[in-house]
Amino acid sequence: MSLFVRINAISDSAKVRKAWFGLVCAIFICIIIVPSVFVVTKVFTDWGLISGVLGDSAEMAVIGRAVWNSFSIAFIVTILDVVAGLPIAWILVRKNFRGKRFLDTLLDMPLAFPTAVLGLSVVMFWGAPEGVTIPGLGICFSPYLMLVLLHIIFTYPYMVRSLSGILEQIEPNYETAAMTLGASRFTAVRTITLPLFRAGLVTGTTLCFARSLSETGGTYIALTLMGCESSFFTGPTYIMDNSGGALSGPMILISVIMILLALALLVLVKAVITHLHVSGNRVWPELGRKLSRGFAPKAKDALALFFMVLFVLVPSFYLFVYLSEPTAMDYGTLLGSIGTSFLVAGVAVLFDIVFGIPLAMYIARHRGERFAGILDNLVNIPLIIPTTALGLSLALFWGGTASTGAVAVVLVILGHISFTYPLVVRNITGAVEEVDPAYEETALTLGAKPLETFSKVLFPVIKSSVIAGAILAFTRSLGETGATVAISSSVNTVPVYIVNLVKEGAASYPAAAMCSIVLIAICFVLMFAVRAVMHRGSDRDA
Amino acid sequence: MAPKITLDHISMKFGDFYAVHDISLDVEEGEYVTILGPSGCGKTTLIKVISGIWHPTEGRVLIDGEDVTDVPLEDRDMGYVFQNIALFPNLTNLANVEYGPRVRAWPPEEQRATAEKYLKLVAMLDRAGMFPGELSGGEQQKVAIARALASGSKILMLDEPLSALDARVRMELRYEIRRIVKELGITVLHVTHDQEEAMSVSDRIVLMRAGRVHDTGAPLDIYRNPQSIFAAYFIGETNLLEGYVSGWTKNGRTKVRLRGGHTVRAEKSAFATGDAVVISVRPENVYTADDGLKAKVVSVVFMGTFWRVRTVAETGDYLEYNVSGNHAAPRPGDQVMLVFNKRMTKVFARPAEGLEGAISLE
Amino acid sequence: MPEIVLDGLVKKYSGGIRASDGLSLTVHDGEYLCLLGPTGAGKTTALRMICGLTKPDAGRVLFDGEDVTTKPTGARRATMLSQGYALFPNMDVYHNVVFAPTIRHWKEEDTKQLARSMIDMVHMGKKVRSYPHELSGGQQQRTALARALASDSKVLLLDEPLRALDARLRIELRKELKSMVKEMGLTSVHVTHDQEEAMELADRIAIIRSGKIIQVGTPQEIFQDPATPFVANFLGRSNIFAGKLVSTDGTASVIELANGIRVRARPCDLEPGDDAVIAVKVGFTVPELIGAAPDVQDAHLPDTLPEGYFHGKVERVLYEGSTITIETTVPGLGLVSSQRSSRRYEYYRPGSEVMITWQPEKASVFRLPAGGLVQEMRLD
Repeated sequence: MSLFVRINAISDSAKVRKAWFGLVCAIFICIIIVPSVFVVTKVFTDWGLISGVLGDSAEMAVIGRAVWNSFSIAFIVTILDVVAGLPIAWILVRKNFRGKRFLDTLLDMPLAFPTAVLGLSVVMFWGAPEGVTIPGLGICFSPYLMLVLLHIIFTYPYMVRSLSGILEQIEPNYETAAMTLGASRFTAVRTITLPLFRAGLVTGTTLCFARSLSETGGTYIALTLMGCESSFFTGPTYIMDNSGGALSGPMILISVIMILLALALLVLVKAVITHLHVSGNRVWPELGRKLSRGFAPKAKDALALFFMVLFVLVPSFYLFVYLSEPTAMDYGTLLGSIGTSFLVAGVAVLFDIVFGIPLAMYIARHRGERFAGILDNLVNIPLIIPTTALGLSLALFWGGTASTGAVAVVLVILGHISFTYPLVVRNITGAVEEVDPAYEETALTLGAKPLETFSKVLFPVIKSSVIAGAILAFTRSLGETGATVAISSSVNTVPVYIVNLVKEGAASYPAAAMCSIVLIAICFVLMFAVRAVMHRGSDRDA
Repeated sequence: MAPKITLDHISMKFGDFYAVHDISLDVEEGEYVTILGPSGCGKTTLIKVISGIWHPTEGRVLIDGEDVTDVPLEDRDMGYVFQNIALFPNLTNLANVEYGPRVRAWPPEEQRATAEKYLKLVAMLDRAGMFPGELSGGEQQKVAIARALASGSKILMLDEPLSALDARVRMELRYEIRRIVKELGITVLHVTHDQEEAMSVSDRIVLMRAGRVHDTGAPLDIYRNPQSIFAAYFIGETNLLEGYVSGWTKNGRTKVRLRGGHTVRAEKSAFATGDAVVISVRPENVYTADDGLKAKVVSVVFMGTFWRVRTVAETGDYLEYNVSGNHAAPRPGDQVMLVFNKRMTKVFARPAEGLEGAISLE
Repeated sequence: MPEIVLDGLVKKYSGGIRASDGLSLTVHDGEYLCLLGPTGAGKTTALRMICGLTKPDAGRVLFDGEDVTTKPTGARRATMLSQGYALFPNMDVYHNVVFAPTIRHWKEEDTKQLARSMIDMVHMGKKVRSYPHELSGGQQQRTALARALASDSKVLLLDEPLRALDARLRIELRKELKSMVKEMGLTSVHVTHDQEEAMELADRIAIIRSGKIIQVGTPQEIFQDPATPFVANFLGRSNIFAGKLVSTDGTASVIELANGIRVRARPCDLEPGDDAVIAVKVGFTVPELIGAAPDVQDAHLPDTLPEGYFHGKVERVLYEGSTITIETTVPGLGLVSSQRSSRRYEYYRPGSEVMITWQPEKASVFRLPAGGLVQEMRLD
């Protein structure tokens, strides 16, 4: 307590606050940003390695195809997400119906599934992998198509969440106003709401695109199950396939290409969506009317729901069919890997919260200022970079890819901090922005010092968002494969363990599935426990 | 000819709560009707039902005798002006006003000409090319009114159109709105919680409270001859004194014994001797005299052309009256004798829920 | 209680907006001062600089002669009551009210006693355990006031504390507000755009516009002797006429308006031939009915008025309760508004022929503002 009092007293000094914020910024830059993109410097320092690859046209063709696969899949998936996600976002925000809460929760579930698990589940559902006894639909045998189907699942919730977030902020009176002026709902949405929607599209597209680009574990498992892990590559699986050994030219090259292309593309997306002028001058009152009433809107909603159930929910849960055939498994190793996973995720999230809140508060409270804008963009960088490339970059920065033991665990934690930190910061920034600064300001004028103002006024109000951000980051960390493998092959987290089981061949599939189910169960228990705690709090506050 | 609006036993329920309870009302052609009431009285719900934004739980809305209850919002052809203005931020002022004609696919020249005509009407034509964000609140609301009128609607709904504006701008704009709609001869329903605004713009005021119509009448009637204590209190300021009927004067005026034994005379009424009553008398009808109700001055406030004097009478009631700005005002602590203009008083039965409950504003 | 001095405050925001532009003002010890001005005039910025939430680019803030410009907000003992009340949503009424005593670690019984007396004073005794979202607007406002008064602050800053309330409730609460604040003897600065509220509450009013103080004085002084045409129309509506000064002496000025009509106003220090603007409050602008019996005057008008200056036709008569507003069209001048007692409502009809007149000593004369009359008269 006395420590709190002492810190509280010095928090009144502007110099102390500046020093603290400076420290946070320094940590952010030195631990998160620079290591994430460090690999790019290798282009200059180890040009020899790269020029060797450039000369190898066979290798270059593989790399080129891998990069193309990654980007084109991400592109297709994002478009599908927008089209199918918009109606659902709409329903979630603007409509009130029984079961809305249920739908809301259902939508979040794929986020709690480690992607490696999803890879397993999806291939089982759509395809008919060799050596799997559970019957699947058996209609999809193209690895490319399979990856699209897989990536939709874990990007879709991000898209719906970003779209509905923006939709909530758009004044519903705009649409009503347009309708009182004689516009049908279709016309009103097309001419007024959608043009105001661009910010949401940018966020949603960025998140989905980045998520699809980075995904490693699920992709790798899907390819392995289909038996083409060494003939069909995406950027991340290529890196993973080459990792674990000495620093190699192809690895660096593809990482750099992925990082640079991702950054360039996202700048482009932002520019295109923001400056794209869709001419909405033409209207077709009759068509608008037909599309606004009766069958058309219902069909659209039904289709969107159908898409969500068939392409997102059912494939994710298909794995649970394995419960009908319980199998023996190595509980010791599983428990060990669960321990590792929780250690990594726990430490990373704790770090994120402690050093994320100050940054989030700064960004939220200085909107429109230059420095805050720069920080805001910087925070997103680790999110955009494919995690495998990020992992490699990190390992290089902290000294080599072949570390073992405690050092390796620390490095893995640092890696996980990099890609979970943006999630936490984004969530908290959003929450702080919604809190009227008048609360804190009033507390200050009532004689509170800055630290007390935070602990007694702001924090209780944003608590639930902090927890939500923490859950998101925690599950994201639990599910990550690519970065972990790229940093060290000796840290055996649950997804890594599952991937390794799958690598062992068809005989180990049931064990992998059981591991997945156990992991999912733990995630759910955790999520519901936290939700229950939050709910009890919010019943009083709401 | 502007249309006539008829509400036939409208109710609107949210869960178990009646926001609007069994309201029937006729709005004549070209009439300017204000729906007045405190926050949460259901006034906004009512015009949202009339304009079709919400569908009533029970009852019908008729326009010129035709049932439009099931006609969707976009086909009702009613202009609607929002409290938060809601101009489309992505369109210029001109494009905002053009929006109604545009979604009806009028010929482009006609869209432009109509929009310019209405912008001119609200004196905003010189701001046509700007975006709403570049205008002040009052200017934005003028553009919003032009937008609501431009599609040629003969009915205009004003949903607290002035609440978001500065007091002084509010005062100017309310006169301007009245001038514009009367010029166009359209039917207006205006929702507000501001009794001053309601009084100065409307042909008729509908006073609502707790989902029901409490009183209705022209501003003059409702001010001079309110039908309830709440109406007297809410519309304009008034002094309320509790007492018992003690008899009648020769002319049939009511004699009321106030607390403390002082007897005053008030307007005729139909009570019996001994009934508990409340007298309502407006500050401008209270004067000082050589003899009357003793009162002690609590505060004196300068109001421009007059002083408002607040006193506590010997009966324990608070009494306010006005003194001309040209005359010397009393000072706090002074003793004054007060009399009423008998003809301008009203006598009400003392409400069962107590005076406080009867005039509660929230 | 301290005296507050604002000395040449300057605050610029990005985009070149000057929220304060050399703002100087003295608030006396224990005074209730209203800072009155239109939206965007820099009222709130001034308030925030007093309590330290905004740092001025230049200038000083002094409390009792001590320069507090760089003192942290928490140490200034200047409490803000903001527009949305900012009641802490995670605390009930009681804990909101005792926020300041708690963080200052007062003795528990002192805190309790203070809280009880404050809560009773604002009539919130029955709602002690309610959370802010369970309270009505008026109750929230009262709770916020109690919280501010319980903070042992010496300065109370009120940022449009009544704006969010219904018109009728606003009138009731503003009566209560001043008596409560006065009882505590605090130096108060109240920001508002509502001239009626300012007149009701203020010991003195400071009119602010474009980041500068234009006039400071008691409500009566500002109403009767405005410093600019804008002030004349902002604090109480005025009719504004532009013309040229013909002559001025010790008793009255004569001004020739655009349509050639000569009107009389207060003496002024302009030279004959100068462009002049005169402002007459609507309450002093009397439309006398032509052909009617000599007008019975409102109590605030003298028994006889000068002969009418211009002839006009009543456009409409608006009933406003205790008063009526008469709008008269005068050829060459447009609409002229007058406000009279509502007892005279029956005398006026649209189309009635009237002569407009006023007492010369009620008409203020100003030099034509440099930026033009339209710019000067803008209300927002």
